[in-house]
This record gives sequence, structure tokens and C-alpha cells, in this order.
Amino acid sequence: MSVVTSLGDVLPAEALSGAEGGALARVARGAEAVVRPRSPEEVVDAVRWASANGVGVLPVGTGGRTTPARGDGPFMVLAMDRLSGLEIYEPADVTLTAKAGTPLADIEATLAEHRQWLPFDPPQVSSRTLGGLVATGESGPVATAYGELRNHVLGATVVCGDGRVLRLGGRVVKNVAGFDLLRPLVGSRGRLGVVTSVCLRAFPVPAKDRVLLLRSDDFAGLEAAARAVRTAPTLPASVVLWVRPTSQGAALLVRLHGAELTVDADQATLERRAGVSFARADSELVAEVRDDATDAPVVVTLSVLPSRLFEALGAARDLLGHSSVVADAYSGTARIALAEVDTDTVRALRDTIEEMGGALAVEAPDEGPEVRAAGSRPSDAETGVSTRLQEVFDPSGVFWPCRA
Amino acid sequence: MNTPLETRIVRALNAIVGPDHVVTDPERLVVYESDGLTSYRVIPLAVVLPATTEEVAAVVKLLHGEGIPVVPRGAGTGLSGGALPSADGVVVGTARMNRILEIDSDNRIARLQPGVVNAHLTVAAKPYSLYYAPDPSSQSTCTLGGNVAENSGGPHCLKYGVTQRYVTGLTVVLPSGEVIRLGGAGRSARGALDLVGLFVGSEGCFGIATEIEVKLLPVTEGVRTLLGIFETMEAAGHAVTAIISEGLLPAAVEIVDNATIRAVEASVYAGGFPVDAGAALVIEFDGTEAGLDADADRAEACCRQAGASEVKRATEATQRAALWNGRKKAFGAMGRIAPDLLVQDATVPRTRLPEVLARITEIGERYELKVANVFHAGDGNLHPNILFDRNDPDELDRVERASKEIMCLCVEVGGTITGEHGVGVDKRGYMQLVLGEVEIEAMRAVKRIFDPSGLFNPGKVLPDPASPPVPAEASA
Repeated sequence: MSVVTSLGDVLPAEALSGAEGGALARVARGAEAVVRPRSPEEVVDAVRWASANGVGVLPVGTGGRTTPARGDGPFMVLAMDRLSGLEIYEPADVTLTAKAGTPLADIEATLAEHRQWLPFDPPQVSSRTLGGLVATGESGPVATAYGELRNHVLGATVVCGDGRVLRLGGRVVKNVAGFDLLRPLVGSRGRLGVVTSVCLRAFPVPAKDRVLLLRSDDFAGLEAAARAVRTAPTLPASVVLWVRPTSQGAALLVRLHGAELTVDADQATLERRAGVSFARADSELVAEVRDDATDAPVVVTLSVLPSRLFEALGAARDLLGHSSVVADAYSGTARIALAEVDTDTVRALRDTIEEMGGALAVEAPDEGPEVRAAGSRPSDAETGVSTRLQEVFDPSGVFWPCRA
Repeated sequence: MNTPLETRIVRALNAIVGPDHVVTDPERLVVYESDGLTSYRVIPLAVVLPATTEEVAAVVKLLHGEGIPVVPRGAGTGLSGGALPSADGVVVGTARMNRILEIDSDNRIARLQPGVVNAHLTVAAKPYSLYYAPDPSSQSTCTLGGNVAENSGGPHCLKYGVTQRYVTGLTVVLPSGEVIRLGGAGRSARGALDLVGLFVGSEGCFGIATEIEVKLLPVTEGVRTLLGIFETMEAAGHAVTAIISEGLLPAAVEIVDNATIRAVEASVYAGGFPVDAGAALVIEFDGTEAGLDADADRAEACCRQAGASEVKRATEATQRAALWNGRKKAFGAMGRIAPDLLVQDATVPRTRLPEVLARITEIGERYELKVANVFHAGDGNLHPNILFDRNDPDELDRVERASKEIMCLCVEVGGTITGEHGVGVDKRGYMQLVLGEVEIEAMRAVKRIFDPSGLFNPGKVLPDPASPPVPAEASA
């Protein structure tokens, strides 16, 4: 525990605590310490200390979406949950700035008072922190209508691996002052630095959020309906395919946002094009589907062009068997929940998906690193640029626990 | 006067692209001396016009090996001097790379060369009932390669976002001549850092995009265009805030002041704006036909509550087209009023618009300058345009001082120095207003990743006191 003792020299004792339960305990396994800074200054102190003492840093929001430390060596978990609270929110600007550890549930509640929301719906969105959301870069299927998270992060403050503090972007919706270092930060999963504050664009809550449901065991029929919807002249908020394991069938969920007249007309257009009648569903089903296929020992994520999605899912079913699948039919991404998987099967599926022009990733915390390594890789050229970018943000490599 | 390009280098360039596509004749080089920001002018050693990725790579590699600076150029419509040549450098233009390679209507993506004109992409996508959303005012001439370099916006970015949102993949010729591919639709699961997002908006400093993959959107079923007439800019500004606070999401909200209205209505671009109005708002809703009238009604009510004397609707396509033509050609129309026009560009938080507009008016009056405002009000993206005569040195000095005050004002209220036109050479001196040395140094380090020798579009974006750019006026 010498690390914790010497950390006590740079941080107040109350900033230190043991890992408490759940997701945080999972990612803290093997860590020398869990540090919970209360201010950006304490984040800087902790990162500087780690850098000087050869200790890696694994930044964590709630820990729910964090990949455990990769590689060997002493590391600390930097839990951001105490760095919480709104900084600037001017409802008429429809933008807000908050500290990175702010629970999204709190932000959603504040926005809702002004009939605004954040149009991002990745799994368990409400239990994430703002910084965690930005670190994963996950937008969820409503990106169909609203654009991706990366397009709505207007600014961020980031602590680099050597303790430098970069204030990137700003709090206006259009900003091209200098190179856009924010974009690679969104979705970088801690590889570049720790975000301490984020400014996001929000949106007005649509008058109606209608959920259309088409349940079916006929995969070909669902594919035809999904195609009819995603190529329709009207842009839905999201088009999600939900496949249940074994005999529970599958469903297409389509969300329509807008005024009542608008969603009525859009529903009629989609039904006409798809030649089907949709049932209505409620927001509880939306949340259930949103969060399904995440809490499993193995989650395979694949991406292809939307026109190849059903073909890719067919190949996955042939290799992996029946499992829970949640797919964004507009963007062509899907996640598949599995109890277990072997490396050869992952490689075979990866090769098939890559032949379709797509890519595949595996999250399997309890499996060996070779399973994860069997996923698709960025090209050598992209890896080269990314490595250099990491060196700019983190010259001493203190964020190694976040890297493959 | 710089030493001309050595004959052996000209020969080598000829061998790559053909002698017809290497410009060294001084009279023809004049065409390339500036972009849309004509206060900076430099004649390059040569202009090379390759037709393929391979030709761009070979040209760039050759010049890199010779230690000759390279300046990429699209259509030259940029307004920050991003395509200003280097006197000792070669301009690589994309004018011949104007092919749309593929429109994949099923997946709603297009692949194209960088010299494709923005509006031509939308024309080509029309048979599939698709279009390309970002619509800079120069869309009838500006190219996608330039849009990628500048992360261009446009009036409809309020609802649809800027260029970055639509670019999914790029083929890039790096400053060394190496060709790399970044991103690509359907490949998100690789877990790569967003290098496409990093490249978009890099103002030609990281390389030349030679193939671009973009998302297309379905053509919307209906559109409603409103024209709100106000006595003052301030009232129009309040109407904008009211519309946004009402929870409406218009496709565009543009504001035009009296000086601009008079210029436009006196020109061939007359759009039907009443010349005695203090300000006009052009508000547009698009989407499913049903429901648009309700949105338009609510926006009209917001305008009236903010004091609009009149709210008209463009009931026919020709009226809408005339309004938009007047809006988009406003910069051109101002050419009638004064010999020179400085098109400014800055963004402020939307709620600060009324206050900022009042203070810009005050700054204009104090420096005895004509300032005409026409801009993207919904985004808070201002374009205060200063009309002047560059042959009047006193007026030129006042223009520069007023410009700087306007920039400082926008930053002071929480805004930034450029929303969509880029930094180029024009705003390098303002970068420290919004960025600290630590951020600027990080940007320098990122530039070195792509361009370690610093010969690619040198002297742009990042402040470099060692070699300040020279405005044409200063050398005249």
C-alpha cells in the first residue's frame, strides 16, 4: 500500500477511499488505489503524481461501461463521481456545461424542466455520467434523426497525461477556431486524457414520441420492413431490430418524433411503404430494448453498411447460435449478447464481417485478452496517427490502462 | 520576386499531370493569387491541377522531396485566406477532380472527388430523392474538398449540423505524399479514434482529401418559409430567442439588417425584402408536410410578440427561391455599395444576440464605418460585414480596429472568433483571444504529426509571429 500512502502526500485524505461495490469494484480489481477527486485541481495532482511515480491511470465515470485495465503494472482508478454539478445552463441557448462526473439522470431532470433533452440513447444512458458518455462516444439509435454525440459536444476541459489542462472548443454551436482536437477525444475511452467538464448541445423535447412495433418470427419480412423504413422519405428518430434468443421471436421498433399531425402522417407513410400495420409500444419497451444485450459475459459489436445488416446478423447466428441482438438498422450496427465465446469463432465471424466491408469488436472482461484481440483493428496508418496523437496528449503514457 | 521554379521540377510536374495542367505563366497565375479574402494576395511559383489521388500523391511527394511549400486549393471561395499561396510554394488545385464516384442510394452515402461543387452533389442525388445537407452561401461554386477543409456550415446547419456530421470517410494524401484512408461507413466497430473528425476543419494543413465519403439525407416532403419584418435588429434578435425557447427546431433562421436589405433589393438579387424594414428574419421549417403549418403559426406568433410589424409566408417556390437567393447573394450585392467588403464571422451564445448586435452598431458608428449584418441567427453565427475602400488608408485602419473590437466583444460574451469561415491567415492574430498557449502548442504538435516539415499550407491557422502574413494593402 505504499502507493496509497505516498498519494496521501499530494491529495487530501478524504479524496481517497476504497472501491465501494458494484461496477467500480469490478474495474478497481488489481488497482493500487481508487482516487475520487473533488476538483479539477485534484485531478491534475493525481495525474501528475501518477506520471511521476510510474503508476497508470484508469479514469472511471460509474465504471459501468469501463473496460478493466489492460496490461500489467501498478495503476490507480480515478473515479470522477464527486466532480459533479451543472456549471452553465442557459435554457434559451439550449446548451449546457457540467462537470464530468455529473450523472446524466441529473442533467436529464434539469433539462426536462425546460422541455429539453439530450438526444442520446445508448444502453443504461440514465445511469451514466456525462464524462463517461463522452469517453465512450456512444450515441444510440436516435442519432438517426439527431446526429451523433460527437457532433454535439461543443467543448470540453481535459487533463492530459502530464497534467496539462486543455480547454477545447467552447460553448457555442458553431466553432472552427483552430484544429478540432475535441473530435478524437469523444469516444477515446480515456486513451487521451481525463475529461473534467463538458459542454453539450441539447434539443427541444418533441411534442410526440411515438413508438411503433412490429413483432414477427419472419426474419425476411422484418428485413423488408426495416429496409422500407430506413429508405423512406421521412427520417424516423430510430429504427431498431430486436432479436430475442430461442423462440421468443424478433421485433422492429421505430420511433417517430414530432408534432402529433406529423407522426400520424409519418406512420401512415411508413406503413404504406412497408405494407404492414404497426402496433404501438411504450417508452418502457424502448428502455428495455435499449438496455438489452449489454449485461452479458460476452458482447460482440458489429458494424456494416445498413444494406448488409441482416446478412451480417445471419452469419453471426450461424456461427454463434441464437442470442439476444439489438441492432440499429439505420446505421448498420448491432450488439450480440453471449454467455461465452471462443477465439476461433470470433475470428471466423470477424473475417466474414470484414469481407462485407464491416468491422467487429468483442467485450469479454472474463475471457483472456486474445478474445478481444480477435476483433477488427484500425488500419496501420490510422494506428500510426492515433499513437502519435496519444503521445501529444499523454507523453509519458500514464493512461496505458485504457489502451489495448 | 522569388526565384522561378526550376525547369527540372516543372518537367517532373508535367510528367505527372501533363503540361496542360501545370500553370507557370505569370498572367495565368494571377487568377490564383487570393481566395475569397482578396485583401491578401500572393503569386505562387506554380499551380498544379492533378486529376487523381495517384497524381496528387506523386505531385505532393515530389514537392515534399524538393522542400517546396504546398498550398491546397478548392474553388477559392474561402473567406479567411486559407488558400492564400506561398510566394515560394506551389498551389495544388482540385478543379479537375470533379467526379462523383458513387451514389449508394440504399445506404444513403456518396463517394466523390474533392473538386465536386457542393450544389452539384445535391443535383446528382435528386433522382434518388436524396440531398447533401450542408449549404454554404457559396454552394453554387464551392467544392466539397474545400468544405471538408473548412468544416463549412450554411443556413440550414441550425437543424442539420455542419460538414463534420456528414463526412464518414476520407482518402488523404499526407504532406509526405503517402496515401491513407480514414474511417469509412459501416466500419465504426473498429474502435479507432475519430481521425475523420480531426481532419475535417484542418484548413488544408494536414493533407489533401482526394476522396470523400458523405452521408445523404432524404429530400424533405414540405417546407414553409416565413419572412418576419422588424423595426430593429434587437427586436428580431428577441424573436429568435423566443422561437428557440418555444421548442421549435427550424431548419434555418437567418437575419438580415436594413443595410443588407437595401443592398440586396437594389441589386439583381432582389428577393422581395421591404427596403424600409429595420431587420428581417427568414425562418424556415422543413419535414413532413403535415404539421409544418402548425410550426409556422407558432413561429409567427413568436415574431409578433417580439414586435414584428409583418410576417409574410412564401407561398410559392419562386418566392422562397427569391428570398434565399437574396440572402445567399447578399455579399455579392454589397459590391454595389463600396469597393471593398470585409465579411466577418464569429459566434456568440444565441441569447446574447440582441446585446451584441447593439454593441456592433455602436462600434460601427464610433469608427464611422458602414456595417451590414446578414447571418445565421439561429446558431448565433454572426457575419457583421464592414464596407470600405482599401485605397483610403485611414478607413482601412479603422476597419482593422473595429474588426478587432468586434472579435473581442464576441469572445467576451462567451463566443468565438470564427463559426464557419475558418482562421486561415486572417484570424491567426485573434487565436490567443480564445485559446491559451497550452492549447495552441497542442495544436502545433498535432500539426507536426501530419506535417513534420511544416511545408504544407504554411502560415495558416496557428499564430506564428516569426512570419506574419502581409496584407496586400501593406505592401501596396
